[in-house]
Amino acid sequence: MSLRTEEMTLNMGPQHPSTHGVLRFVIKADGEVMREAIPDVGYLHRSIEKIAEKVGYHGFMPYTDRVDYVCAMFTNQGWGMACERLGGIEVPKRGEYCRVIAAEFNRIASHLLSVGTMGMDIGAMTPFTHAIREREMINDLIEELCGARLTFNYMRIGGVAWDLPPGWREKALAYLDHFDPIWEEYNALISYNKIYVERLANVGVINLQDAIDYNLVGPNLRGCGFKWDIRKDIPYSVYPEFDFEVPVGTGEFGTLGDAMDRYMVRIREMRESSKILRQALKQIPDGPVLAKVPRNFKPKAGECQVRVESARGDMGWYVVSDGSAYPWRVHVRTGSFAAMGMINKLSRGLMIADLVTLIASLDVIAPEIDR
Amino acid sequence: MANSYFGNIKDAVTTIFEGLAVTASHLIRKPYTVQYPDRVPVRVQDTLPFRYRGILEVDLDICTGCLACERACPIDCIVIVVEKDKQTRQMLISQFDIDIAKCMYCGLCSEPCPTGAIHHTTEFEGADFSLESMIRRFVPEPIYAYKPSKGPETDPRIIPILNRGMRYVNEFAQPGGEKPAAEEA
Repeated sequence: MSLRTEEMTLNMGPQHPSTHGVLRFVIKADGEVMREAIPDVGYLHRSIEKIAEKVGYHGFMPYTDRVDYVCAMFTNQGWGMACERLGGIEVPKRGEYCRVIAAEFNRIASHLLSVGTMGMDIGAMTPFTHAIREREMINDLIEELCGARLTFNYMRIGGVAWDLPPGWREKALAYLDHFDPIWEEYNALISYNKIYVERLANVGVINLQDAIDYNLVGPNLRGCGFKWDIRKDIPYSVYPEFDFEVPVGTGEFGTLGDAMDRYMVRIREMRESSKILRQALKQIPDGPVLAKVPRNFKPKAGECQVRVESARGDMGWYVVSDGSAYPWRVHVRTGSFAAMGMINKLSRGLMIADLVTLIASLDVIAPEIDR
Repeated sequence: MANSYFGNIKDAVTTIFEGLAVTASHLIRKPYTVQYPDRVPVRVQDTLPFRYRGILEVDLDICTGCLACERACPIDCIVIVVEKDKQTRQMLISQFDIDIAKCMYCGLCSEPCPTGAIHHTTEFEGADFSLESMIRRFVPEPIYAYKPSKGPETDPRIIPILNRGMRYVNEFAQPGGEKPAAEEA
């Protein structure tokens, strides 16, 4: 490493196929080793927070889908929970169960996309098609539930808009029976593949103190071996009623907190989601799914912050109301933005080819960074 | 040293063949790919669920002109003009336009509709050459708004349309659960 060549400035993105949306990096490289990779965010900024101030509480729900289009159920739920807390509305029990079922299916779908593109980014095309096939089946289920495949707009303030359709529960259980063996098959296909492990292990190692300092959340933080899950630690909705584990990184393939650990956390979380879904589909009570909320919803003046565990980690919704029909201020705190902040630090000394591994392992979604 | 070297090679070969075995097993499985649009056995539109949120459509025969959908739309892609006919004292709908290029298919408009007049179809192939053609105009000439009759509907022309509309409305969850849950546990 003592031999240094002239520094080269490279531009990666904004339309690079492996940057998961519209991301741009300015890379300063010495040969093939990066000195730094400066992320340039803002290409997908759509002023979603400002739109909330113009369209009102009910009308903002479809916009929350666009905050994170890969796991839109969680953004729906976050917005719904924030408004319910402001307005003092209680969601019926069945409504909460419907929310959890939809959200956990969405978590599996999101993680499938994440692990699938992980393979694709480092050059393995086949696992992507396998993951997408499974995700497609979940999309079909959700389509039957709420009529859309990506921008669900399933939840409403006070519950959900549609009850489970007749026969849906059996279909969902049949899917889970199909999914569990497929999960093993997927692992045999790629997760334990020696070449794949070599590409991921010991790459982009994050130590726990750094992860906390940089405010990493979700699977990225759990990949460092720290057990922190909002569903367990600050329980919301009906999550306390379910029995599930929080998988953490173990460093079994290399160093604790490397890309492989984050990958394995996602793989194992899908199994846990499947466990939650089985319990939820079994325990779901009868009753209404939507509370009575006035069409002209005006919460009392005040502010609130809610946190949901989305597929990309702790998602915070901060809403300030001034007592009118429109929120005064809305802010979304997302996991991808924090992860982007850390890329510059992690990229130092890494090969350029490993940068895509790093981005994929942090699972950043471009619209969630910029909103 | 030599041991781990050969161990690595053995690992690599076995794990690769495990993966290849999965791939090979897919040669004899049923393919999942649908070759849209030219080689589908049935039109995709006919296989979609009833709740599918495709391009919006309005049954003007059962539209009451209550403007609930126009108010609910967060992006104002629905424009309705309703006036009162002075002679017959009935509501006259003279314009009902939906800009489907602006529409984001959220379904917030069909939720408050009392008769299910405005609803999503399973149609999704809407590509066209101009933005002007994306504006669906549902009122060729002004017509009277539908007035729900007391008791069951008697007009045989309206009954099937209204039945379909009410089926659509009933799919939505009712606040407070006035409707019994669709699925019995």
